[in-house]
Amino acid sequence: MISAIYNFALTTGANRVIRGARIEHVCGDPTLSPEKDYAFGMRIVTTALQTLTIAVPGPTLFDPMAPGKT
Amino acid sequence: MRLEMGTFPVRDIVFGRTTRYDAGRLTVDRDAVLAAVRQDPRIASAELEIAKPGESVRIWPVRDVIEPRVKVEGPGVCYPGICGREIATVGEGRTHRLSGMGVVEVSSVNWHDAGGDFVETFLDMSGHYGEMYPYQKLVNLCLVVEPDATLNEEVKNYAAHKAALTVSDQLGEAVRSLTPPEREVFELAPVDPSLPRVVYIWCVHSPQAMSGSPTAFCTATYGLTQLTPPWYLHPNEILDGALTGPYRTAFAMSWTVANNPLFLDLYRRHGRDWNFLGVISLRTEWTTQTEKQLMANQTAKLAKQLGAQGAVVTWDAGGNEFIEVVRSIQACERLGIKTVFLTSEDDATDGAPTMLEPLPEADAIVSTSFFKNVTLAVPEAPAVSRVIGLPTKIVRRGSTIGLHGGVDGGTLPTTGPLPPPWRYDDHYGFSSLSCAE
Repeated sequence: MISAIYNFALTTGANRVIRGARIEHVCGDPTLSPEKDYAFGMRIVTTALQTLTIAVPGPTLFDPMAPGKT
Repeated sequence: MRLEMGTFPVRDIVFGRTTRYDAGRLTVDRDAVLAAVRQDPRIASAELEIAKPGESVRIWPVRDVIEPRVKVEGPGVCYPGICGREIATVGEGRTHRLSGMGVVEVSSVNWHDAGGDFVETFLDMSGHYGEMYPYQKLVNLCLVVEPDATLNEEVKNYAAHKAALTVSDQLGEAVRSLTPPEREVFELAPVDPSLPRVVYIWCVHSPQAMSGSPTAFCTATYGLTQLTPPWYLHPNEILDGALTGPYRTAFAMSWTVANNPLFLDLYRRHGRDWNFLGVISLRTEWTTQTEKQLMANQTAKLAKQLGAQGAVVTWDAGGNEFIEVVRSIQACERLGIKTVFLTSEDDATDGAPTMLEPLPEADAIVSTSFFKNVTLAVPEAPAVSRVIGLPTKIVRRGSTIGLHGGVDGGTLPTTGPLPPPWRYDDHYGFSSLSCAE
């Protein structure tokens, strides 16, 4: 689940929670240029897809913007 | 900060040749008041009508209900900041108010044009539906006002509300130099240090995220509605209308904010049952987890800095705004501040909790019942003899229509039976409805 209010997703039992940008634009940022907005959104969505391959013990938060992420 | 509040109870309103108050009877010079309203070139049309308790009258659309208040001594103006009014800090000196009446702002203007928020409140002066709101007991002077249709939505909002405040100001002037029949002094005088110290955390919605505008119209703090960190307000500032203006629910109007029974009781029992420290006003609808948690932390920190041992918490919205509200409660409790939360509840569809994030720290809750009229099974409001305002109403929200038949988005004549608005939502404990244990 991609969510800007990720704690709520975790406490309601979503297993893979991906930190989104904001409630009003979860997978984008309208303050960025179109190219950078696209890259930003792709990073979130790609992270979300990658987490489907990862086994989790229970509700787990993934941060697309964490250091070391590509 | 000391404020003397002089109250002039209004029991009847009539139109006459001069605007004046005499022993409970308010005479309104309709032409003079409307001339003042029409001085604003943004106003295209304006009319005044009177609605009294018990009449078969429906008022639609009700954007706001305002209690006339006028600053007699001391700095500033009542209802400061909103619609370009003075922003001098209020709460000192003497204020006169006309109680038992409302100036009702009746207009087709919507809150903003971003979608999702609609003016939905109508008021019946008789019958079961109108009984659910405190305004039915008021003698109401209704300003039916339309701004120039070519203006943008934000300017229309300011023009319509400024017009209603102009009416309120005109009535207030009539009692400026009179001796009030009732007087009450409000101040946070030093009290017995053994009394428990209590703060009121008063959460108010910000339309900034929904509308995309930091200046969108809503319940305002000295005119500001944007997302700002928590404010400390002296309760006298509230009495002078520092927090004012409507939000989309029937209980979040200028009148209900100014007459909030929870706030007034907290203040009046200062020095007797507790030491009232004042108001922390938190803007809600922050849009990231981090911002919501930060506001909760800062609210609790401010309460702790003020020396609070207890906090009473209310809010005026729904949905994700619950997060910063309930987390403020959690943050207070973790700092050793006991909290009581006054809130309405969502319906328990499919066994879901009636609160979005039921945290264990929020363990003292006063329920003002369900926030949806459909959950409360409020029957439709019956036909009326007279309508003040618009002849038709677009009915929103399938959930309400589901109870009464009809089509979401359908148009109904306002003289006929009408389904209640989607929300009921008593934010401040005006009514006696509560939860089923």
